[in-house]
Amino acid sequence: MSAGVPIRLTVNGTAYDVTVEPRRNLADVLRGACGLTGTKLGCEHGVCGSCTVLVDGEGVRSCLMLAVQAAGRDIRTVEGLAADGRLHPFQEAMSAEHGLQCGFCTAGFVMLVVGALDADPSVARDPERLDALLSSNLCRCTGYEGIRRAVLRAYGG
Amino acid sequence: MGVRGMEKLREVGGFVLPADSAPVSVRVPDAAASWRLGRREDARLITGAGRYVGDLDVPGCLDAAFVRSRVPHGRLVAVDTSAATATDGVVAAWTAADLGDEVPLVPVYLATPGSAHRPCPALAVDRVRYVGEPIAVVVGADRYVAEDGADAVRVDIDPLPALVDPGEAAASAVQLFDGLDNVVTDMEFGDPVPDEVWQRAAVVVEGVYRQPRLVPTPMEPRALLAVPEEDGRLTVWVSHQAPHRLRDDLAADLKWDPERIRVRVADSGGGFGSKSGTYAEYLVVVRLALRLGRPVRWLEDRAESLLASPQGRGQNQRVRLAADADGRMLALDLEVDADVGGYPVGAFVPGETGRAAAGVYRTPDVHARVRTVVTTTALTTPYRGAGRPEQVYAVERTVDLLARRLGMDPAELRRRNLVPPEAFPYESPTGRWFDSGRYEQALDLALELADYAHWREEQRRRREAGGAWPLGVGLCMFAERSGLEQKEVAQEWAAIDVAPGGGVVARVGTCATGQSHETVFAELVARTLGVPARQVTLVEGDTAEVPQGVGTYGSRSTQVGGSALHRAALELIEEAKRRAGPGASYANGVVTAGGRSRTLGELAAAGEPLRVEGVYAAPAAYAFGAYVAVVEVDTELGVVHVLRLVAVDDCGVRLDDEIVEDQVRGAVVQGLGQALYEVMPYDDEGRPQAADLLGYLLPTIGELPPLTLGSTVTPNPNTALGAKGTGEAGCIGTPPAVVNAVVDALGEPGIQLPLTPEECRRAVAGREAGVR
Repeated sequence: MSAGVPIRLTVNGTAYDVTVEPRRNLADVLRGACGLTGTKLGCEHGVCGSCTVLVDGEGVRSCLMLAVQAAGRDIRTVEGLAADGRLHPFQEAMSAEHGLQCGFCTAGFVMLVVGALDADPSVARDPERLDALLSSNLCRCTGYEGIRRAVLRAYGG
Repeated sequence: MGVRGMEKLREVGGFVLPADSAPVSVRVPDAAASWRLGRREDARLITGAGRYVGDLDVPGCLDAAFVRSRVPHGRLVAVDTSAATATDGVVAAWTAADLGDEVPLVPVYLATPGSAHRPCPALAVDRVRYVGEPIAVVVGADRYVAEDGADAVRVDIDPLPALVDPGEAAASAVQLFDGLDNVVTDMEFGDPVPDEVWQRAAVVVEGVYRQPRLVPTPMEPRALLAVPEEDGRLTVWVSHQAPHRLRDDLAADLKWDPERIRVRVADSGGGFGSKSGTYAEYLVVVRLALRLGRPVRWLEDRAESLLASPQGRGQNQRVRLAADADGRMLALDLEVDADVGGYPVGAFVPGETGRAAAGVYRTPDVHARVRTVVTTTALTTPYRGAGRPEQVYAVERTVDLLARRLGMDPAELRRRNLVPPEAFPYESPTGRWFDSGRYEQALDLALELADYAHWREEQRRRREAGGAWPLGVGLCMFAERSGLEQKEVAQEWAAIDVAPGGGVVARVGTCATGQSHETVFAELVARTLGVPARQVTLVEGDTAEVPQGVGTYGSRSTQVGGSALHRAALELIEEAKRRAGPGASYANGVVTAGGRSRTLGELAAAGEPLRVEGVYAAPAAYAFGAYVAVVEVDTELGVVHVLRLVAVDDCGVRLDDEIVEDQVRGAVVQGLGQALYEVMPYDDEGRPQAADLLGYLLPTIGELPPLTLGSTVTPNPNTALGAKGTGEAGCIGTPPAVVNAVVDALGEPGIQLPLTPEECRRAVAGREAGVR
């Protein structure tokens, strides 16, 4: 065990002062020290995308980023999407379109889509770009069609 | 507690069989009346508030990491844990010797002859039999520390020869278990086909197929958290499909009364069969927690899951099919060498392949011989379909071979041989009872939805014109056993309680891993009772709340568990009427007798608790389907493009069309993965060759073909609910349809799963060279 480093993580607008070993990845620190377990770890090698969070607005696989790399940056997780007691429209759309079954990959897909489409909703109108985006993440339950429909519902494809 | 509903069924040799006559009459709901419910599960799952095993915050919890064999087969000479124990933060490091006088044995799913002689220790004792086999376990303050410790364990193994292929292992002089044959069981189904049947047949075709090993790969790998309680009890949080079996297995290992163990299934990140067993790691973690007196958690990581979690499929198959000149099937013979891996824990699975051998065809002579064989590879246990995809693949590919030989349209060949509706209940030559089916109707619908005639015309056009990528059309027809035949699992426990305030709690022994039970089962009870759905809550997956149950596997939940809830609700209505007095009537949650009307809640407040509890029988049913795939093959790159995929499924009465389609879509995409991408390859030395999800490929949204779903409704005649199962159909129907289409395109029947670009290029090269 190596010595911990004190860092400040800003997650969903809240500051978390934590001491972490440099080797710890962001996902583990979010889930552990920050207690934000909505972010899931599906492969821990950057393929499945279940751990996707937004760092400075960009989708990031939090299993591939060290927590110390995220210090001082603006991190958003699935817990921070609802505002004023209202779900993000894409969260509502995922439920309405059966974009989830077991729910384990859901936070990753939600953060992937919200990060990309809130910045550029036109992706929803371009099937190739949308497929390319959604191909970033894996789901083993739904067969994906509900996730695609949810994007179109929320972003008016 | 007696099992209710058996009076209308038959029990033969421990199997529950459908009624011979006078089946239950079921009203088929109008498809437009489908419930189309919003899922209750979603509120927590879309906000990150779900609680999976890894999310539970338990003070003082330790994490476990396993040391696994890197050698496929060998004598375990020494395991040195001293450096691990000295690692900062490590609390314990154990080998088999630390597990007590008796090393726990991994329970088999269903006892098969020979399995008891080839025990699977929870940690290797003196021999390792596959890469990934657990040898030691290290417990630390957290996962990082535990893995530091695991890395420090030194293992000394004297290698022995590897056995990778079940056919070769069956014939090898190298024995995995000293003094015992590598063939564990040798099963026969049906009578051997007489020689004269083959001799007088106009046509006999033969196909040889390989079923690759698949890794089920739920997005959440296996997970278990054992919490010793102060009162001497044990709570086990787990991602699981069959919590009662797990409880009983753990109790048997500990020699405890099962009541001391509470198994609680947290939110589960998918199962697909791979979370239905009691695995080595579970036994070890439970013992660690009890010995240390502290909570211990094991979260399998993906690399471990690919290496060491149980896999699916893994069969070598040989099929012979005889027909007369008109294409009427005369005889089918199926030979299977099934690879059960290093230990025969899941050796019952291939039995399904043999028992189902005839498929949907009225072939008079059917015989199957299935050998289960140990090899130096990871265990195979049930994976979505569990023996059925293997059977259907073998038969459906061979039916297409027969069509080619006869020069007959494969749809027409199938049509001539289907078991007709009036033949049900139909007993197949392998001793299987099929309850009901209207196979031709499903075929007709599938051909219509696929626009079959159009694609045949397009195929003809391309063949004549040349130049374009070759196009092929493939069919698959199947019947899928849903629910189970053995008496002890052809039933489910259910209870319904009404609280004085009118709240209804429904409990059932099934256990969802994503299948929307909270939504559908609560609605089913509400509609049966005629009360608002918001009044009804479903409880499952907690052995303290649900005292007994079978679980969720074998496509049984709605068919058996839903039926149990339905009948419990009907009994509750009868109980309410009985309490209200003579001549009582019931409607919409209100019982009326002698001019006095009371709600269920008022009735519950007035006297004894208003409760119904029972175990309800439901025999196996046979859902069925017809699938059509249209493909073109890029002959230069070997890439298969699926242009159309049509899936027609008949799972009896559908409670909620959308939720049924959720199951079908997911399974179809898993089936597509099996057809085109998925395989866990082993090299000749027995080492697995895919270490991550870049090596083991799952379909992404980019690989989705245009998919059309269709349905017909042939009610289950043996329950008043009329539902059959549907969880596995998609991965049964899809692979043969896609592969048959590729064979049709390339004209090369030797092609084997998965149809990777390399495999397709080999087929193209064979075709170009004229090699047959």
